[in-house]
Parts: sequence; C-alpha cells; structure tokens
Amino acid sequence: MNLERLMDLPGAMAAFTYTDKGELQSHLIREGNEVTPQVLGLLTRSCVANLAIAAMEASGWEAVTGQGGFQPLQGFSVVGMEWSVVVNGNCGVIAKNRDVDYEATFIALQAA
Amino acid sequence: MHIVKQLMAIPGVIAAGEFAYRGDRFSYEGALTNEFARMASILCRANTLSVNMQSEIFDSFSENCGCRPVQGWITRGNQVTVCAIGNIFCFIENRKELLNDVMTIMRAKVGDVQDDLLVNLYARIGGDTKEALY
Repeated sequence: MNLERLMDLPGAMAAFTYTDKGELQSHLIREGNEVTPQVLGLLTRSCVANLAIAAMEASGWEAVTGQGGFQPLQGFSVVGMEWSVVVNGNCGVIAKNRDVDYEATFIALQAA
Repeated sequence: MHIVKQLMAIPGVIAAGEFAYRGDRFSYEGALTNEFARMASILCRANTLSVNMQSEIFDSFSENCGCRPVQGWITRGNQVTVCAIGNIFCFIENRKELLNDVMTIMRAKVGDVQDDLLVNLYARIGGDTKEALY
C-alpha cells in the first residue's frame, strides 16, 4: 500500500490503512491540519461499518429492484464540513472539500 | 431552478430527489418507480442519520476536527453512484467527471456555503457552477 502516492491526490490531508476489524494499521498525516492519529483510529472503525452497510444496501437494492451496477462496491465517502473521507477496501484518504477530486480518489483507492 | 431539476438536466444523472429528515415524505424525478423512490429515500435518510451520528462522536472525541456537521455521503458502485447532500439524493452513472460536477452543484446549493461565495450565489440562481468557474 503506497500511502505516499495517496497523499499526492488533490487536497489530501491524510492517508491510512486499517484491518478488517477497523484497527488503524498505518497512516500519514500532512502537517498543519486538525487530523490526529486518535481521530483516525476512531474514523477507521466507522469506515469498516459504513462499507459493510453500503455493501448490504447495494446487494439488497439489486435483489429487490432488479437493477444492476451497484455491486461490487467501489467505495464510500463521508462528506464532512471541511473535509471528506473516502475509503475502499482497507485504505482511505482524508481530503479537503475545497480541493478534493472524488473520482480520482475512488480510482486511486481501487488501484491501491 | 430547483436543484432536482438542475441535476436531472445533467447527462448521466439517472434520478434525483428530496427526502424528509422526519417521516416518509419524498419527491423525485428520473428513472425510478414510485416505490423504488420511496425505498431510496428511506435508505438515504438512514445513511444520513448514521453518518451524522458518527460525526457527533468524532466531535465529542476531538472537538472542531472539521467533520461536523456532515454534509452528506457517497456510495460508489460498479456502474452507479449514489450521493446525498443535505436532504437531496442523486443516482448517477459512473461517467468521467460526472461525480465531481454533481457534488460541486449539490454542495454549492445545499451543502457548504463558506468556500466560494460566487459559486454559491451563482448556483442558487440556477447557474452551472463549473461553467461559471472555468
């Protein structure tokens, strides 16, 4: 997992990896922002939960409606007030809302 | 122009709608049946409440960490993306640059207002924020 490459994404403030249980594994935080390792430790728990819920919803939606294109899930993002967290698999990026490129971030996380 | 109509005018947007934070009222336009739109509204409301609850926890853990209040969320599927900002939801195809454009418009109209006043004001009168910028 190349966190340095994820930190090159537009607006990236932090990049991180986590275990299947949501424990923070590794991280990089750009200096001078409000994100701390403690926040990341809590955030990764919610990332696992949100991805699991989103996967359940995608599966359920396809089964109920007969529509396709929702699975496999390629990521989930929470858009906060000042930054967004974008996650997929076992890694994620926090990026400033002002500069974030959601598409590029989802694609980078899929390749990571 | 109402934001749902504005979103529906963008090629690649499958459906867009508005859900109530309380109750089950909703409105929508696009390629959904009434029942599917009702289900989508419930799903979007549940996710919105969930991420808001999470941001409250983050904030109590680390005050002013920059996540609260939450503006919305995005679920990226294989070919379809669902995004919600405030109480507006949108189903879009995974086309190049479409997600960024939709998010810019949704955030400008119902999300944050602090970043770029010109974009925000232009969006509120129905303008294309991207066109206004570049």
